[in-house]
Amino acid sequence: MAAGIREKQTVALKRMLNFNVPPVKNSTGEPVWKVLIYDRFGQDIISPLLSVKELRDMGITLHLLLHSDRDAIPDVPAVYFVMPTEENIDRMCQDLRNQLYESYYLNFISAISRSKLEDIANAAIGANAVTQVAKVFDQYLNFITLEDDMFVLCNQNKELVSYRAINRPDITDTEMETIMDTIVDSLFCFFVTLGAIPIIRCSRGTAAEMVAVKLDKKLRENLRDARNSLFTGDTLGAGQFSFQRPLLVLVDRNIDLATPLHHTWTYQALVHDVLDFHLNRVNLEESTGTESSPAGARPKKKNKKSYDLTTSDKFWQKHKGSPFPEVAESVQQELESYRAQEDEVKRLKSIMGIEGEDEGAISMLSDNTAKLTSAVSSLPELLEKKRLIDLHTNVATAVLEHIKSRKLDVYFEYEEKIMSKSTLDKSLLDMISDPDAGTPEDKMRLFLIYYISSAQVPSEIDLEQYKKALMDAGCNLAPLSYIKQWNLFSRVMNTGSQFVMEGVKNLVLKQQNLPVTRILDNLMEMKSNPETDDYRYFDPKMLRGSDSSVPRNKNPFQEAIVFVVGGGNYIEYQNLIDYVKGKQGKHVLYGCSELFNATQFIKQLSQLGQK
Amino acid sequence: MAVDITLLFKASVKTVKTRNKALGVAAGDSAKDELLKRSAARCKSDFTSRAREVISHIGKLKDFLLQHRKDYINAYSHIMSEYVRMTDTERDQIDQDAQVFMRTCADAIHLLRTEAHKGVQSAQVKEHRSAVLDFIEDYLKRVCKLYSEQRAIRVKRVIDKKRLSRLEPEQSNVSTSPLSPEKSSLNPFDDSEEKLSAEETKDRNLPDAQSNVGLWGDGKGEDELSPEEIQMFEQENQRLVGEMNNLFDEVRQIEGKVVEISRLQEIFTEKVLQQETDIDNIHQLVVGATENIKEGNEDIREAIKNNAGFRVWILFFLVMCSFSLLFLD
Repeated sequence: MAAGIREKQTVALKRMLNFNVPPVKNSTGEPVWKVLIYDRFGQDIISPLLSVKELRDMGITLHLLLHSDRDAIPDVPAVYFVMPTEENIDRMCQDLRNQLYESYYLNFISAISRSKLEDIANAAIGANAVTQVAKVFDQYLNFITLEDDMFVLCNQNKELVSYRAINRPDITDTEMETIMDTIVDSLFCFFVTLGAIPIIRCSRGTAAEMVAVKLDKKLRENLRDARNSLFTGDTLGAGQFSFQRPLLVLVDRNIDLATPLHHTWTYQALVHDVLDFHLNRVNLEESTGTESSPAGARPKKKNKKSYDLTTSDKFWQKHKGSPFPEVAESVQQELESYRAQEDEVKRLKSIMGIEGEDEGAISMLSDNTAKLTSAVSSLPELLEKKRLIDLHTNVATAVLEHIKSRKLDVYFEYEEKIMSKSTLDKSLLDMISDPDAGTPEDKMRLFLIYYISSAQVPSEIDLEQYKKALMDAGCNLAPLSYIKQWNLFSRVMNTGSQFVMEGVKNLVLKQQNLPVTRILDNLMEMKSNPETDDYRYFDPKMLRGSDSSVPRNKNPFQEAIVFVVGGGNYIEYQNLIDYVKGKQGKHVLYGCSELFNATQFIKQLSQLGQK
Repeated sequence: MAVDITLLFKASVKTVKTRNKALGVAAGDSAKDELLKRSAARCKSDFTSRAREVISHIGKLKDFLLQHRKDYINAYSHIMSEYVRMTDTERDQIDQDAQVFMRTCADAIHLLRTEAHKGVQSAQVKEHRSAVLDFIEDYLKRVCKLYSEQRAIRVKRVIDKKRLSRLEPEQSNVSTSPLSPEKSSLNPFDDSEEKLSAEETKDRNLPDAQSNVGLWGDGKGEDELSPEEIQMFEQENQRLVGEMNNLFDEVRQIEGKVVEISRLQEIFTEKVLQQETDIDNIHQLVVGATENIKEGNEDIREAIKNNAGFRVWILFFLVMCSFSLLFLD
């Protein structure tokens, strides 16, 4: 598992695009062209991993959505990458009947059922196209990898597996079953791609437990079926440099509701919180000029720009976890170094002009030519660097504007203090009734965090006061009602206590561990802690499906996967990364059923509170 | 890891077929439809077959180059073997053939490109075809790179060889002189092993050789020409040989530099061509903008006129109204 999950998924995709034959490195190979057809799920999976240029390099001339109007392009092989749903299958059968392409390579994102396979067979026979269907594969890639060590389940049908869907009071058993099945299916695909069978631990009595039970059952069934097991053969060989199996920690969102509402200070989390950031793409709206337009003229149009923040962006990789002021400084530094290099190239030009007349020494002339060649070849790098600097300047400026207008730094400081139980120098009421600090939503978030993390329930009078202040500020009180109900259920989970605080610097992230990180730490290091001691323990490889909570393995784990059922966000991810940085040789992957920022979470809470 | 369920698929095909037979469902289209379908596919695949022809040509060129690559380069190693010597003429021949071939391939691609967009309705097919042609061009470029690499190596080796061979006349001169055989034979060998870039060492050798030969010439003496004249002629010979060698050497170096410059030139032309399309776009936009502004000006003039006329009418109306009020009882 030394290679990240991102690499594994990319390798699997590239192999699929190469007609499921491992690609051979051949610089002078003949071009082979093909057409790629995907549905929205496939699009979400492919877009963070492969750019259009990389698709081109693999020989893909066209990439189209399954349900768009497609014309017949005969004598071209077509690679399909779709989910095996009814409508997709129907459309594929239609394609077969219309003879759109020369040969068909069908790849299903998750396993297809036998009956649907027969439907396709039927259509193929009807269209006399059985020989054209060259290969059919189950790819088991039903998850979206965003970073080297972070993955999300799905982006398209987020509402089906959202926090709200799972925690609705009026949910029926069948609905719950379907949701759990979707989650388990994706987790199963994840482990197939990873090539390892984990040891599962989960807390009791939560949705996470249901997921764990089902996942355990599915893995067990697959292992029993020795003929078709997905975990034998070369998959195990590649991933077995460590003889340990990874640890899968399934947690439910309900252990820590404060973190998604938290105002944050690191670059990536800020971008996600403040701007429109999906699947590693950020959409900025830029207004083109701030002068007042004359009366009667049309309003100035705003430019929408979107940027991709990928792993090839070195600045992003280095700074996505750093606090915002550091980021601003680094952008300045990069800009300066870029200017220095640009001057270097310009200076070369003047040197060339002077020494061009000197014909004497051979070596000096060849040196000049070499310098020129190196300058020319470094130009693309310089241009790329400039583009990145521009990109980050724009993004950082947008974020900064938001921070300034909403006074997010004040909120951040205040919340940190609340969550770490130090004394508050400004009362909560003042913060809420302050008119120019933040949107009503920010105030709501602040109050909810206070409510969740306070040790005892604030008295009724106080509550009324707060409520009135919140209403004056224009907030919707529905989330509050939901949190109240939630509190009644789970007062046992004492999230407020036990924070470890190190260092007291203003506006710098303190090294405190969020609840999820703490749980992971306990489980990985086999520490005994009342919180995690009664977590259930599942081992799919064991013959007897036991229910014991006694772990058989006493050694600390080297690799772990944390999966949050009900939604996660970048703050937790960043916290985990920071935790792992301090430990040598440990790898942690973070996954969640959906990724939301505070705004979306508040919306879900208010929907829940309104019921 | 992906699971290959092609066999499963084929099994389900068989199942469905048997099921259909059992239910008595008609089993697929008639042979006539199949023929129609095949013929339609055949005429549309004209483009593809030609594209594949071009690719096979380029493949042949690549094989040809790779096959003779070893001979092309290897003959320059100082250990010359008997069988695989390639003369320079053969190499030039290879270069020429390769260039002609590449030009024909490039022309074929160009022709395909212009023809590809005729007789095609859908945008997707157009896009697909232009992407296919891009791939083929890319392939051709890669093969041409093979060729130009070979050529660059060859030119470089020739320069080095010339530098080495500069010592050969000195070597042959010095070795015939009996005055200092060992010392002089040692000298060139030492020099050939050291770096040859410094001119001073060569210059030093030449006067040495000349002085040796001069002594030798003095020692012999011929009847027809006086010893001094012989010596002078010999000196002049040496000088001329040296000059010629210099010139030749410089020419070779310049050739090497020109090769490098041509590579740079290629890069620059690419960039300039890219900019050309951008500039064309900008030109179009600017022309459009000027048109729009002109029309805008016209509209504004009209509007002003209308405004003025409108005002006149309003005034007139008001005056008429007031007069009618005044003078009507």
